[in-house]
Amino acid sequence: MADHPPGVEAWKEHTTAFDRVQSVATTVSNPRPVSYIADEAHVAENTARNHLERLVSLNVLLKTEHDDGALYSPDPLHTRIQTLRDLLEEHDRDGLIDLKAEVQSKIEEWETDYNADSPDELRAQATETDTASQTRDIRKTASDWELALYRLSVLEDAIENYATYSTDFRASTSR
Amino acid sequence: MTDSYNPSEASHRALRAIQQELERHPVVTTVQGFPDGEFTELRANLAPERWGTDRENATLTVHWFARETPDAHPEFAFHYSDEETDFGWHHHDQEHVDGWGHFQERTGDAGDAHEPHTFHAQSPPQLTWEVMSLLSSTPISE
Repeated sequence: MADHPPGVEAWKEHTTAFDRVQSVATTVSNPRPVSYIADEAHVAENTARNHLERLVSLNVLLKTEHDDGALYSPDPLHTRIQTLRDLLEEHDRDGLIDLKAEVQSKIEEWETDYNADSPDELRAQATETDTASQTRDIRKTASDWELALYRLSVLEDAIENYATYSTDFRASTSR
Repeated sequence: MTDSYNPSEASHRALRAIQQELERHPVVTTVQGFPDGEFTELRANLAPERWGTDRENATLTVHWFARETPDAHPEFAFHYSDEETDFGWHHHDQEHVDGWGHFQERTGDAGDAHEPHTFHAQSPPQLTWEVMSLLSSTPISE
């Protein structure tokens, strides 16, 4: 117990093994085996395997079979649907359109301020700065810009399919 | 997944997982993506009195940026501030100390002080609890 890194005891106290397996498995950057996810989630390997299989059946994770065993990774579609659901829960159609306009304004501001048409184009400018601080600012803005583009794509999806999604959403919340 | 790797989707996923972990932490009162539209960071309101520390406007701001390739170390920052103090644990390129991991604290007009810091955790959820543990043992009441 004393060997646990800081925070692990509190994490275990306030979450279930399933919570931790889900959290870890949905944030891996590369497909990972059970052993890796079990270590990171501080659960036994058999426990992790059972929870991972359940998460696969719930379409939260993707499973790929390899010669040396199964690998698990997050299903990008699940993340997108969760984000869509949050947006529909918090905003009506007009609210979503306002939000889209806000994100577009921010992106237009970056395009003007940095004279760049994309995050990649902006990131390329990081090689031409005079100070480390300017380089860091540019890299951060490029990353913010990428995140904003992701959100914009989900917002556009929510607005375009609002009638369908909101009907489905109301049906699911009224049960 | 490598073929379909998308850094912004990976960053968003990490931020959502961190949000969920912060919602589970007993000192966090609210946490939400900010700004509402772009969702480029998380802002959590804290109740440090639950640690026995009386501070107004205690907040934790979290940034997380997955890099261009899935194997590259992410850039992130967990930054605390209240009416009197401003500090945080960051992981990104900088010129002040060796390595990416560092603790930085605002020291009045003198700017920020930096110290190297090594994170134990790798995953966003465990890192969240690691930082909250570090925060609970930081003398913010002094």
